[in-house]
Amino acid sequence: MSKAKRVQPQEIHAAPYPAGKVLDAQLHLLDRQVLDVDGVPVTTVDDIELSGPEPNEKIPKGAPAPQITALLTGPVLGTRIFGGRPPSSRLIRIPWKSVAGVDTVVTLGVRADSLDASWVERWLRTHVIARIPGGSHEPE
Amino acid sequence: MNLNDILGSDVVDGDGQRLGEVSDVRFALDAGAGQLLSQGRFVGIVVSPRTASSFLGYERQELSQPWPLAQLLRWWHRGSFLVLWEDIAVLGSREVGLRPGFTAYDARLTR
Amino acid sequence: MKRLLGVALGILTAIGGFVDIGDLVTNAVVGSRFGMSLAWVVLVGVVGICLFANMSGRVAAVSGRATFEVIRERLGPRAGLANLGASFLINVMTVTAEIGGIALALQLASGVSYMLWVPFALLAVWLVVWRVKFSIMENVTGLVGLSLVVFAVALFLLKPDWGALAGQAFALSVPAQEGAGVYWYYAIALFGAAMTPYEVFFFSSGAVEEGWKIKDLLQSRINVLLGFPLGGFLSIAIAGCAAVVLLPAGISVTSLSQVALPVAQAGGQLALAVLILGVVAATFGAALETTLSSGYTLAQFFGWSWGKFRRPAQAARFHVSMIVVLLAGVAVLATGVDPILVTEYSVVFSAIALPLTYLPILVVANDPQYMGKHVNGRAVNIAGVIYLFIILVASLAAIPLMIATGAGA
Repeated sequence: MSKAKRVQPQEIHAAPYPAGKVLDAQLHLLDRQVLDVDGVPVTTVDDIELSGPEPNEKIPKGAPAPQITALLTGPVLGTRIFGGRPPSSRLIRIPWKSVAGVDTVVTLGVRADSLDASWVERWLRTHVIARIPGGSHEPE
Repeated sequence: MNLNDILGSDVVDGDGQRLGEVSDVRFALDAGAGQLLSQGRFVGIVVSPRTASSFLGYERQELSQPWPLAQLLRWWHRGSFLVLWEDIAVLGSREVGLRPGFTAYDARLTR
Repeated sequence: MKRLLGVALGILTAIGGFVDIGDLVTNAVVGSRFGMSLAWVVLVGVVGICLFANMSGRVAAVSGRATFEVIRERLGPRAGLANLGASFLINVMTVTAEIGGIALALQLASGVSYMLWVPFALLAVWLVVWRVKFSIMENVTGLVGLSLVVFAVALFLLKPDWGALAGQAFALSVPAQEGAGVYWYYAIALFGAAMTPYEVFFFSSGAVEEGWKIKDLLQSRINVLLGFPLGGFLSIAIAGCAAVVLLPAGISVTSLSQVALPVAQAGGQLALAVLILGVVAATFGAALETTLSSGYTLAQFFGWSWGKFRRPAQAARFHVSMIVVLLAGVAVLATGVDPILVTEYSVVFSAIALPLTYLPILVVANDPQYMGKHVNGRAVNIAGVIYLFIILVASLAAIPLMIATGAGA
């Protein structure tokens, strides 16, 4: 890898500060816990889906900026760790329109059980936990 | 397009000269009606001349404690800058190309 | 009254964390070979665990985030997974050893072979994890485990030459009959045992289980400052007993009955009975802590719903993973491996897990987005950075020393 050309400090301008909340994806979104509307943990933010150009596609001047369309979870975590890209059919999407807030956690405006992201939880609940006596009682 | 396609890609200027790696992508939540949270709009990319790992966040926030750690990470990320969407010509999984004559902005987050 | 009960959390973590089966044996081994010359390591470890447990409890109380959520978030998936792998292996190895330890203590009491006690121990641990409320679990095992104080009583009854013991402790030198490599290997093993990450995972998750808020911070501090030093005190007493009885007799500790020997000599049958009760409670408590910790770490890394404050059906993946861990532990025991030997190898994985656990806690405890005005003070940060440095040095030295000394043989 060639050594990067330095951008000299005097070439760095003061940033225009957008109105509204600013989020840096790595710092404020990726790997954060996702809670549903009742505060039940659903998953973590493993990747983020954007609208806009396909990878490596030339961007015409004046093209509108991409938007966050969904938070992604599931097998995409494995590819983040080990590289590669999961087929898009294997991605579990949480649409951005169900997101209610972003703070130290990402909160959703919907219930966990209504999301694809919780299918393993629901499967284990009905097929394993519910079959063991006491599984659906409060601890005493 | 997914975020992980871009994160860690090499950043090159209009002449194909390497400037660093994409260490983060900045979004802004603009006011919008009709849903729970406003749209997350792509603002630009943070370019770090050295490394793509930015996990601790010291370089862009007003975090100064514990002191030796903060200094070390600041130094490691010295020379990071922000490039706005308007100045990006292509977003690729190996390479992100900037337009000729792009403007480098201060990457720090000010609250 | 509620505050008094809350302190029991600290006591349980202290006894479970400090004086689990691995520590019982390691401290006795160290006492019988090095006398009191490694007591300073326990002191350094106690200060370290107080520092970081307090920090993780504060993060959990203020932000509601348990430690492994913070680790995933600050370290990202790769380094986070490395930590998860190492911590999870330590947890499984410790669960294995603790279940074996419960069974060994019951064998000591009954004379019935420990293999027959293993299924009962497994079932008991699982039932508590499955059905018993968090607060009851911690209070009962914590209070019964206090009977390990019998080690300190025994040390007094043995009427040792206190001057000579103190002399060993303050000499800060390697005993003549042992090599420097072995001495430092055991120093790192003791330090790692004092600062095992699962204590912090359990402590911070426990704070979430109990719904701690900012107003509970004082209580959290009392828990830490009372509980962990008590655990350290017990560790030193165990080493002391071994140093007084076993070191002069030239007995090297290889089994639980040898750990109990000084206590039986000092206090007879009654003391032995109290000791066995304490060992069962402490290993049982540690088995619960490590089983829960393995569930906590997995669930928090992947973002699953977790916690004993939920019904098992509301935390299905959390409970399934704990069942799998318990079964894996028993499967390991069924091969006939010595349960005490299992913990000795966990020091290797501690080398990976320790720095990757304590760094993110220190970082987040300074982040105002999480902590508001409850960020670390200057003194805590200075101590935190010094400890991070010690941890890093210990981690780098652990594996070479282990290979060079043949695991302290």
